[in-house]
Amino acid sequence: MKLADIIQTLSLEELTPQLADAADTEVTQGYASDLLSDVLAHAPSGGLLVTLQVHLNVIAVASHADLCGVIFASHRRPEDEVIAKAAEEGVALFVSGDDTFDVVGRLYQLGVKGTAA
Amino acid sequence: MDFVSYAIEGNDFKAAGAASRAIKEHLKRIGADADAIRRTMIAAYEAEMNVVIHADRGRLEASLSDRAVNVNVIDEGPGIPDIRRAMKEGFSTATSEARALGFGAGMGLPNIQRNSDRLRVSSRVGEGTRISFTVMLKPAATADEQLISLYASAERCIDCHRCLSACPTGAMRVLNGQPSVLEHLCIDCTCCIAACAPHALTLEDDVDALEHVERPSEAVLALPPGLLAGFGEHAGVARVLDELGHLGFASLAGVRPYEEALRAAALEHVGGVGAMHPVISPVCPAVMQLVELRFPSLLPHVAPFESPWEALQADADGQRLACVVSCPSQRSALLAAAGLGGAEVVDLPTPGLVRRAVLPALAVGRDQAASGTEDSGEPRADGVLHVSGVTHVLAVLEQIENGLLTSVPVVEPYICDGGCFGSPLLEEDPAVALYHSAHAGAGADGAGRAVPRRRPRTARPGIRLDADMAAAIQKLSQLDELTRSLPGKDCGACGAPTCAALAEDIVMGRAERSLCPYVEQPEVATS
Repeated sequence: MKLADIIQTLSLEELTPQLADAADTEVTQGYASDLLSDVLAHAPSGGLLVTLQVHLNVIAVASHADLCGVIFASHRRPEDEVIAKAAEEGVALFVSGDDTFDVVGRLYQLGVKGTAA
Repeated sequence: MDFVSYAIEGNDFKAAGAASRAIKEHLKRIGADADAIRRTMIAAYEAEMNVVIHADRGRLEASLSDRAVNVNVIDEGPGIPDIRRAMKEGFSTATSEARALGFGAGMGLPNIQRNSDRLRVSSRVGEGTRISFTVMLKPAATADEQLISLYASAERCIDCHRCLSACPTGAMRVLNGQPSVLEHLCIDCTCCIAACAPHALTLEDDVDALEHVERPSEAVLALPPGLLAGFGEHAGVARVLDELGHLGFASLAGVRPYEEALRAAALEHVGGVGAMHPVISPVCPAVMQLVELRFPSLLPHVAPFESPWEALQADADGQRLACVVSCPSQRSALLAAAGLGGAEVVDLPTPGLVRRAVLPALAVGRDQAASGTEDSGEPRADGVLHVSGVTHVLAVLEQIENGLLTSVPVVEPYICDGGCFGSPLLEEDPAVALYHSAHAGAGADGAGRAVPRRRPRTARPGIRLDADMAAAIQKLSQLDELTRSLPGKDCGACGAPTCAALAEDIVMGRAERSLCPYVEQPEVATS
């Protein structure tokens, strides 16, 4: 599943449109957690993160764990400084109006699986 | 080898990640595999966050080779009262601020452990914590991957370049005060350590104090004779052993019986089937590396036994050993022996740590000389050519290679001047320590034995220019041309020991021609 299709199907708001290549990224796995150490420990490389955390360390964690992008659930929105850092690091950011459970459920329907599947 | 050195401020959550990102850039540049990069990043980031969450300030330092990345994070903070509890998932003492950001869930140290190949944590309550971890950049060690125990610190380097000419294999490089080692050439000897006045080059340390060795009451502290005899007139071997006995280790062991057993086994090997004369005793792992690197044709001369330290490790099956090695080559040999059976080497404290631990006690009552004065009474076996010091070792190996030393039954070569007693890490002059040792009797030593070699010794490809022969030939001709175009002064200003070494660095893509201060200068006008 291409990131572009996920953006369209889930009606995600793109925060980093400058990362034009990101839409072509193939996404097969994801992770949902608000505990950043847990993300570091368990998120699959190349995966998509769904979280409520919107501070700068999320970008560092995503970059260190080699994630392709982050979806902020429940209308949570990071500050501009965080968005700028993400663009610099090549981490695509999105906002969803749905809560974490619904975002993950819809991703699952699209074939994006967790680490167990 | 490259260095990353970063200051970390406590409570500065926004800056966290900068140091680990710098490591990532280096790892990418050397072409490390993606999995190793990811694991290093996660471990380094958690270690950084540890400082940010718990400490006032700290520092992350990383050294990088083509085989492993070593990261040290040292902080000034409250320390960890119970490291074993802190290693348990879910245990945390983090502030609510850290928790609100999604950290401090007690996953930091376990996360570092999971993502690194070797982790050491030591801490002093009220002073700080030191976390050291290693991530191997390639999965398994093969014959052409060399483990190196030499540690080069950019912080202490004074850019004097003395190490360049001291290194017998041309492995040292110094560029802008950054010392580094070409690991494919390094034989883990002590030549550069001895030449380095500011101690920028030393033995890689695994633990920062003797009391931080894991569970000492269940470990055997193994010691080289040169250390026991290295505390001067007033503190004989017997007194040193007595003080070491108070450190809380289960027992003490000496390497000397294994040195003697090896000597006897090498002598016996002289008459054995298929022995090539003279027989070279594998007493010094650095000389063995030198043979593997520069004199592979002499490998059949090497008696097929483990070095004394490896023999001790093999012999202490099922025990936990803390080995106070006296040089990098002994450390590397012991680390490489992991997985071959024998004792588990839990730590490799440096000789300096042992000195620090017992010196204060030895300074008390220095008038009461306590050393035993009886002679060891063990005559040295005849027919052994003892040679020590890299210059002499090179000359003797050269002679053997040229077939000029056929009347000698056994050659016992040591890279350090004065044998293992002469390691610069032991501090006492070898002649003095040897005298005290010889007059102290057997000391801690029990029985030793010679242990048959467990892995074959093989030639190292260190000086090969390219794995592909045709490409190597091409590079050789480039090298030749380039060498002729350089001034031939071997001044070391470029950071390489000789013009030929710089030429090789350029051909191998390790250096730029512009590093030479003599080339491409405007011509001097003649009038």
